[in-house]
Parts: sequence; C-alpha cells; structure tokens
Amino acid sequence: MKKIILVIAVLLVNMVSIAQKPEFFQTMGETLGQYASCRTVADFQALGNKFQMIANVEKAEWSPLYYHAHCFIIMSFVEQGDAVKKDSYLDEAEKSIDKLVAMAPNEAEVFALQSFYYTARLVVNPMERGQKYSALSGQAVGKALALDPTNPRARLIKLQGDMGSARFFGQDPKTFCPQAKELLATWDNFKPKSPIDPAWGKDQAEGIVKGCQ
Amino acid sequence: MRRLFFYLLFSLAGLHVFAQTVITGKVTEENGVAMAGANAYLKGTYDGTSSNEKGVFKFKSTKTGSFDLVVGLVGYEQFTRKVELKGDTIRINVQLKEAFNQLNAVTITAGTFEAGDKKRAVTITPLDMMTTAGAAGDMYGALQTLPGTTTNGESGRLFVKGGDSEESQTYIDGSLVSVPYNSTAPNLATRGRFNPFMFKGMVFSTGGYSAEYGQALSSVLLLNTNDMPAEDQLDLSVLSVGAEVAGSKLWKNGAVTGSFGYNNLQPYMSIAPQNYHWVQAPESANAAISLRQKTGKTGMFKLYSSISRSSFNLNQEDLNQGGKPIDYELSNNNYFLNASWNGKLGENWSMNSAASFTNNKDNIGFDQTTVDKKIQGIFLKNVFTHPFSDKFILKFGGEFSAKSFGQNVVTSTETHDNRFINNNFSGFTEAQVYASSNFTTRIGARMEYSDYLKRFKVSPRLSTAYKISENGQFSLAYGWFYQNPLDDYLLYTNQIKPERADHYTFSYQSTINERTIKVELYYKDYRDLVKQNGDAFYLPTSYSNLGNGYAKGLDFFWRDNKTIKNGDYWISYSYLDIKRNYRNFPTEAIPTFASKHNFSVVYKHWFAGLRSLAGANFKYSSPRVYNNPNSSVFNGELMKPYRSLDLSWSFLYRQNIIIYGAVTNITGFKNEFGRQYADTIDANGQYPSSSIKPGSNRFFVVACFITLTKKGKANQLDKIE
Repeated sequence: MKKIILVIAVLLVNMVSIAQKPEFFQTMGETLGQYASCRTVADFQALGNKFQMIANVEKAEWSPLYYHAHCFIIMSFVEQGDAVKKDSYLDEAEKSIDKLVAMAPNEAEVFALQSFYYTARLVVNPMERGQKYSALSGQAVGKALALDPTNPRARLIKLQGDMGSARFFGQDPKTFCPQAKELLATWDNFKPKSPIDPAWGKDQAEGIVKGCQ
Repeated sequence: MRRLFFYLLFSLAGLHVFAQTVITGKVTEENGVAMAGANAYLKGTYDGTSSNEKGVFKFKSTKTGSFDLVVGLVGYEQFTRKVELKGDTIRINVQLKEAFNQLNAVTITAGTFEAGDKKRAVTITPLDMMTTAGAAGDMYGALQTLPGTTTNGESGRLFVKGGDSEESQTYIDGSLVSVPYNSTAPNLATRGRFNPFMFKGMVFSTGGYSAEYGQALSSVLLLNTNDMPAEDQLDLSVLSVGAEVAGSKLWKNGAVTGSFGYNNLQPYMSIAPQNYHWVQAPESANAAISLRQKTGKTGMFKLYSSISRSSFNLNQEDLNQGGKPIDYELSNNNYFLNASWNGKLGENWSMNSAASFTNNKDNIGFDQTTVDKKIQGIFLKNVFTHPFSDKFILKFGGEFSAKSFGQNVVTSTETHDNRFINNNFSGFTEAQVYASSNFTTRIGARMEYSDYLKRFKVSPRLSTAYKISENGQFSLAYGWFYQNPLDDYLLYTNQIKPERADHYTFSYQSTINERTIKVELYYKDYRDLVKQNGDAFYLPTSYSNLGNGYAKGLDFFWRDNKTIKNGDYWISYSYLDIKRNYRNFPTEAIPTFASKHNFSVVYKHWFAGLRSLAGANFKYSSPRVYNNPNSSVFNGELMKPYRSLDLSWSFLYRQNIIIYGAVTNITGFKNEFGRQYADTIDANGQYPSSSIKPGSNRFFVVACFITLTKKGKANQLDKIE
C-alpha cells in the first residue's frame, strides 16, 4: 500500500513538473526522437548542439547536458582516424560531464555516462591510456552501481568492460553470457523516472546476447 | 499513463501555431571558408539549428519581439546580435573569429621537450620514458635518447648541449633536488634516485628556459609528481636486482602512498660477467611516503619524503701503487623531503609554493684514506601568477636556498676538514604576452644574491615563438644563466664569482599527422668559468674566474608514430662543436665529456596478439677525447666510439600483471671510456695507465609488476591466487 502511494506521488510530481514545463519536455522529446536518424559526426554534432541550446535555457535540468555529452562521446567513436579531433570532441563532452557530476551527484546515470566517457578517452589511444582510463572507467561505473545496482546502462557498461578485457587477455568472454542474458531479461524492470531520462542500451544488450549464441 | 499524458502535451502544444519568423544565414571563418556544425539559436529559447556543410543555417521561430541570435562553434568567439522577430525572414551572415585559447596558441618550443598526458603537442610522454629500451627504468637514461644530450657511459648523468653534468638541475614540483643521482664509484655509471612512475609529466629544457629557474648553466629537468591515485591499490615489483612494495590508501580528497624497496646486485653479479671485482655488490634500501590532499576547490597539497641507504665495496687497481688492488668502500645515507601547494587565491591569482630539504652523507674509504661528505640543502620558493587578460600573464616570485657542504678527508699523512655554507636569495619576474594565437613573447629577469660569494647577479631572459602555418613554428630563446662554482672549489675559496653562460637558441618545429620534426641551432658563450692554477688545491689563491669557452651545435629530432602500424620510432642526432679553457686546462681544448656526433634511434612496436610492447634502441656517440700525460698534447687522445644496441620486452599478462625484460648492449660492443693514469711516472719515465671500462659489457634485467585493487576488478584478483 505504502508503495502504491509512493508510486502515485512520484507520478504526480512528474506530471506536475511536466505540466509546468511543457515546452521543455516537448522539445526534449522531439530532439530525442532525432537520435534515430543520426549517422555521421555532423549529425551527432547538430544534435549535441541542440541539447546544448536546451541546457543553456534549463539550468536546473541535468538531462540536456547528459545528452550533449552523450552525442559528443558518440562523435569520438564515429570519427575516423584523427586522434586530435576525437580528443576535441571529448573535451566538449568532459565540460558537460563535470557540470553533471556537480549538479546530480547522486544520479547513477551520470556516473554510467562518465564511465562511458573514460572508455572513449581510452579508445583514442589504448596503448598510452589503457592503464589510467580503464581504472577511471571502472571506478565511475562502480560509483553508478553503488548508487543504483539495478541501473541497466551501468550494468551494460560494466559488462562490456569485463568482456572487453577478457577478450584482450585471451580469456573466454562467454563466461559473462549468463550475466548478459540476465541483464536483458530484467532490462524492462527498470523504469526511468521520467520520459526524458536515459533509456538507451537495450539493443546493445540484445547484441551481446546474440553474440553469445 | 505517463506516456499518454506526455503525448497529449505534445499535441496540445502543436495547436498553438503563430506567425513564424525564418532566420537564415551563412557561417564563415574570417577567410571566407564555410563553417559546418555551428550552433545558431535564439538566446533563452529552444529555437535554433546547426549549420550544414555549406555553412548555411535556417530555422523557424514562433516567438515575436526582440531576441539575441547567438552563433557558436567550439574554438571560435561567440557571435551575438539582436534580432526583431516579426513573422518575416531574417538573413544574417556570420563571420566567426577564432577564439584565443592558450592551449591551442603557439608555445615556446626552443630548447624544450615536454611530456604530459593533457597537452596535445607533446613530443615524448611519460610512458615513452619508461618503456625506452636501454634506460632500464632510469629517467636520465631515457632522456639521453633526446637530441642535445651526450652519453657519457662512465657517468650516467645528463650532459646537455656541451654542458658538464653539474650544469643540469632537477626540480620536483617546483623544488630543487640537491642530490638527484645515486652515489657511485669513480668511472662507474650512476642512476637517478627517483622512480619514473612517480611522475605524471616533465619538461626537459635544454636551454633558454624561464627566469623562474636559476643556478643551472645548461639545462633544467622539471618533474611533476602524480596527483591522486585512482583507487586504493597495492603494487608489487619483483626485479632480478631487488623488490619493491607500495600501497596507496584514499580518503575523501586525499591519499597516502607508502613504499619500501630493497635492491641487491649480488645474485645478478654472481651469474653475469663483470669487468670489476666487487667485494660487496651494491645494496640499497629505501622507504618513502607521499601524501596528497586537495584543499578547497582548486588547491592541492603534496608531500613526499624518502629515506635511503646504500653501500658497496669495489676492488680496484691503484695505479699509484703499481696496480696494487685496493678496496673502495662507499656508504650513502640520503634523506629527502619535498612539499608543495598549488592553488588559486581568489579569481585571478594563483600561487605555487614549494619547499624541499635534503640531507645526504657519503662515507668513502679506500686504502688508508677516508672521505666523509655531507650535503644539507634547504629550498623555499613562492610563485604568483596573475593573468591580466588571456593574452597577458604576469608571473613573479621569490626563492631562498641554503646549502651546506662539508668534507673531511683523512689520509695517512694529512687531514683536510673543510666546509662552506651558502645562502642564495633570488627573485624573478616574467611576463608572457600573446600578440595573437600565432605570436607570443616571454620576457623576464632573475636576480640572485649569494651571501657566501657576496655577489649579486641579474639575468635577463627572452623567448618568442611564431607560428608560420597550421603545423609549423619558429621559436627563439636568449638569456644569461648564472651558476655558483662547483662545491669542490667553494670548499676552499669564496673569492670567486658565479660562472656564466649566454644561450642563443633558434628552433623550428612542425607536426603533421602525428609526425614531428624539430631542428634546433644554438650557440652558448661561457665566461667567468673557474680556472685552477698549478698551486696546491687548498689555497684560495689557486682559483680564478679567468676561464671561458663556447659550445655550438645542431640538434635534430624526428618522431613518427603514424607510418608503421602499431609502431613508433624517434631519431635524434646532435652535432656539437665545443672548446673550453677552464678548471685545470693548460690551454683551450675540447673537454672529455663532449662528443661531436650523437645519434640515437628508438623503436617500439605493439604486438596486439602477444599483448606485448617490444622496444629496440641503438645509440652511437663519436669518439671523445681524453688526456694522456705521456703526450705533450692536452686532451689529445681519442677513445673508442660508444655503441649500444638495447632491447626490451613488456608483456601484459593480465590487466594488472606486467612482465618485463631488457638487455642493454646485446651485441656486446666493447665500449671503453679512455684511460686513467697514475699521478707519478714509473721507472720508464711514463705514467702507467689502465683503460676505463663499463661495469659490465651487457646488462640484463627481468621484472614482474603486479597491481592489486579492491574495486571494479575483483575478477582479476580471483585469478591471481
């Protein structure tokens, strides 16, 4: 009973906040819809710019900054070749992540993203950065899981890291398959707090599970 | 339910359709090139878009009234203009100006090699230093693969651009290190005291450096220690010559690291052939503790303290006693403390404070002689930095250093007990001005007063850099550099003045697509060098500042980590032309530490399948001179050229376990460092001599490094057991 009241209360609070900021939620919803059509660095930059614009207006909301950083991290993966360019995108992502950490220090999503960001830094030059950034990435995802052990994106990033290092060190990554299946099976149990909260990652989890078969 | 509500909101909002204003335009750089990806939007609204590949942006707004149109792109100054939204079309073409950013602006590269993980324009990184074959983890060894340096195999110290090893100074976190090298026997190579893993970055300046640094005629090596460790961890290192254990513990905003190490070359020397007979192989133990504490938002306090003890006993032939073997025994005790604080004072001031303390004792015994040397040094420095604007940064500070050096020599017939204390008071000020992103000038001056020598010296410093293209730049550096004479002279006299070197450096550097080329020309004018006449060494009147000299040369550096996939190499070449008339030279001559041609090539290859980094390094130094007292020509003999081919292999067994092996001089080139002579002639009227050889022709080391952590990698931990 208590739980139901809590759920209703949370829903009400959400609805009130949505009602108070219809333009914010509408714009965020539309902009999030554009993810699906992004392919190139320029696409993601345009989308990231849009989130940056929203973040400039909504100083109290962490999600626009989150997606801004997310877009610029993706850009570093999409970019072919030039390490200096990759780093310049990640410099932009870093600015938003630093703000996010200060703004929402108890949000598991933020630290999951931070872990993803460190992995992107690592990928630019694995030989040079492997040691430092794998530790930082592991630490950030550890923080995310400590804040919310059920967060599927934090679990996904941890799983990807573990499987990656198993592959690198010549061990069988398939030992993590039961974990992957469990993650996918329970993915939808996690309910984002609002419709604009991060919801990505399920298709990646599906990809891992497919790779297990 | 929520989703339904959400969509409802969307559709409701869609009903409010007002008159729309179209805002469109083209974004270009100052030179007219179209800029894609610029963010154009109305400030305080969600209305906006990004420019396409042609630089064109176009968006609609239902707002009316006065708004700021903002156009922004990373690396460019933001464009803002007031627009009136009335439902028509607004066309605005925007020219973006490149923003001034010190990180992207031209940097002064004359005489400088920088390493760090943040900086983009790095030529060498800390990891490069550690994995350079032949250096075997010695920082100074790795630096000797860079141009401007001359390898002196019988010393191991840094010799930079025709400078003696004493002319180079090492700074850790801003503090001078009085005793950077381990103690060793005459003519045997030493190593640095500090583990390269302690440092996150370094600047190696081979000339023309900032007014912040004094008391170095040739070069400064600036080392920055690591910030906070990432997590609690335990590091174990087991080497064929010793072992070390280090542990780090973190707390909120702080961390402590403790380490203990023990080295003993006895087992190694018993299986590897040695050129000398060791009665007791080198043995050392050291303990260190370091503290890190963040203070406030921006401050960081660092403290490092170490204590070490080492000893050996080497049996050498004494030429003065007809080649009779005598024992040369040495024990060294070193205590070092280094503390620093960096942080901001208010919005626009930052302060760096640094302090160090050294207490170093060498107790040496050979035949019937004992020598006890004691160095104590205190160093205090405070530097303030104030940017008046992005383009004008002022830096100034003060420094105090005190050094006491005592030496007690007891032979069978005489005793010499000498000691001096010198206090140096210094101040400096320096301004860095950027005329544009492409042109910068650093101008400064340093004042120093020595109370022992009672001398006041002012050194001007000037350097500039000019970017001629996206990738290439010229840099110039000029300055006067003073340094107090050698401790060995100051023991007997204070009637001499600091020695002086003037540097003129001109360099060109270009980086295109991860390939760097650097060419540097320099000229150094040495004056007021200390000369020693033939009188007894303990008489103050034996010393004067009548010496002088010059060094000029060309340094070449090429680094390429692009051409060969997974491969990375650099090539250094230095040409040196030098003459001096100083110390006990009867005439102007080439000093023994200088070689005309120095060549080094370092290659590293990452074998992904083997998870291994392999390295090879070849070094060549053309013959150096040495003096044969049997000949009438001073420094007239040539020793053999120095050659060495070194290999190393690092294997990443697990994420936290590295296995490492290295061999120096694998082909066993028979290197020799000239000859040493007896003080007196033998029955044939000749000075007897023997050749100076390295401790061994080859050296090998095998090691295993293990890191244990709690968090995140529990699975790794399980597999170690």
